[in-house]
Amino acid sequence: MIVGRSIMSIRSITRRLPHYLKELGSQGIVPFLIGLGLFLPGCGLVFDAVELVQPLARDEMSAICSRGQLRVGISVEPFRPFVFPAVFTDEGVRVTGLDVELIREVADALTTHCGGQKPIVPTLHLTRFRDLFIEMNEGHLDLFVSSIGGNVPGARPAGLWYSIPYFHNGGIGAMIQKPEVAERVRAQFQHQAGNSDTLAAIQAGLSGLTVAAQRGRTSHLYAEANLKNIRLLICDSLPAAVETKDPRIDVILSKHSILDYVTKHVWPDWRLLTRNDGTPLILTQESFSIVTVEEHRRLQWFLNNLLYRLEESGRLEHMRRRWLEEDYAPTRRATAEGLPFEVSKVPAHYEQGQCRFATER
Amino acid sequence: MPFRNRKVSKKDILMKSRVFSVISLSLVFNLAWSSIGWAQAPREETEKTAQHLALLLNVGRLIVERNQTLINDPRKGDKGFTPEVFEHEVVDEFIRQTHIDLKDLPTHLPSLAKELLPLLLESSKEVVADAQLVINQRGIGYKNFIPATFGSQAARKFSNRSHVKIKQTTLNPRNLKNTPDAYEENGLRRLATQPASDTSITEWIDNDTILRALTPIYYSKDCLACHGNPKGILDISGYPREGAQEGDLAGAISIQIPMKSR
Repeated sequence: MIVGRSIMSIRSITRRLPHYLKELGSQGIVPFLIGLGLFLPGCGLVFDAVELVQPLARDEMSAICSRGQLRVGISVEPFRPFVFPAVFTDEGVRVTGLDVELIREVADALTTHCGGQKPIVPTLHLTRFRDLFIEMNEGHLDLFVSSIGGNVPGARPAGLWYSIPYFHNGGIGAMIQKPEVAERVRAQFQHQAGNSDTLAAIQAGLSGLTVAAQRGRTSHLYAEANLKNIRLLICDSLPAAVETKDPRIDVILSKHSILDYVTKHVWPDWRLLTRNDGTPLILTQESFSIVTVEEHRRLQWFLNNLLYRLEESGRLEHMRRRWLEEDYAPTRRATAEGLPFEVSKVPAHYEQGQCRFATER
Repeated sequence: MPFRNRKVSKKDILMKSRVFSVISLSLVFNLAWSSIGWAQAPREETEKTAQHLALLLNVGRLIVERNQTLINDPRKGDKGFTPEVFEHEVVDEFIRQTHIDLKDLPTHLPSLAKELLPLLLESSKEVVADAQLVINQRGIGYKNFIPATFGSQAARKFSNRSHVKIKQTTLNPRNLKNTPDAYEENGLRRLATQPASDTSITEWIDNDTILRALTPIYYSKDCLACHGNPKGILDISGYPREGAQEGDLAGAISIQIPMKSR
């Protein structure tokens, strides 16, 4: 019945259509609509041409330029020497580290890009590591830098884009306290008699041990994917893993360069897990990238071109050596070159959190 | 009668002129004396205010120093060293040292001091508030929230809000922003040759329009962990130790109060 009525009404409209058109034509509306229809297909081209000369819609680069600020997310959990814990200085509260120096480089390059009339000020948003991704997706940040590994499976959430690496010689490493753990792993390498297979040696060597990794970091993803026979403890931060006494942790997995720094300068009771010849044991290679959102094409090209130029000029290598190899006091560097920050989504009394066993394995 | 009168009037005139001279002189003297007294009072008040300000900043530094073990305790998250706790300790210590209650300023205090002491206390509290994230980090030991960094920030915040400038300075500053100007350098050299004392150097410069005061700070035992021996070896914050001894001159709190802007 409803279908029948619809057909009737369509028939009646079709019958009356010439009459309506005649009426509108006498008012000059039809010629206008026809003209508009003919013009519309070329409208996009005209729009593009105009935008080339004078950008109509503000893209992310012009937004940064007009704002005069680069909103950068940085992790509150310290990833020394990439991000040191915030300290108090004569200038106020400051953070420093390789990642912070890189942010300065990006801001300086943006100042030049924006015409150099006013400096682009990097505004650091200190937030929990896990919240960086949320803050980015919610549009509160232009980019974030926190020794983020971009080439480990599962590390790239949808909608985010990772730059070319600014740090290549990374990788996942391990630190231990008990020498017998190192002996177990080395024994596995000896069994391999020259046919080195790190993954197999690690899987057998760490079997049955309690291994800690920081939630959401690449070491966590590595352990979840590759180390089935361990008791995996997921910690909110690296200091939380170090502080945990019950259960007793045998191995802590994290980025090798971070572990190298903290075993030398922060937690001397811990040592790097090494191969039989004393060289550091890298479980898998990893490179660090700057992260922004998928849609920011102009910013992405800007970042990649900048990182390539910094690599070409040797500036990145100098920065890496400066933070990873030189002997220095981070507090002094924070005073001289650290950046102030805004705190978002961090409780007033920040604690490094806790550890708990992974449930679904 | 008029003739007699005229004779008398000559004498009178002489007498009157003498009396007039004496009265005029005494008037001029009185006026001069009262203007000296009028100028003297604000000068004394300004000098007193400078002393109180230096003392209050020093008390703030002392409270930060006393709480170093708590602030740098890596096992604790919330240290409880809030701006209110800091204020309470500062008020108590200030009463102990001066018998002046910062929460109920006495009427005899110079009006300038009544205006500026609460402002410095508020600025100091704000510095402690700004540092809460750093202070309450668990798992982190040394945080560089020390008397020197606290003092620099409190002095800067206060100076930005008033016509009075406060600065910590020393002959060999770790932070170049604390480099002494010519006046301060001269004063620090004088203080360095004198035996340790709480007495400030106070002087009026630029035709008595600006008060400059330098209150010495001496190294205490706690300071020597970073500023003592072995000289040249880096301390925890990465600066070379100065090789200082307990009681040596560490620097001074420099205060400038312009008279005109009152």
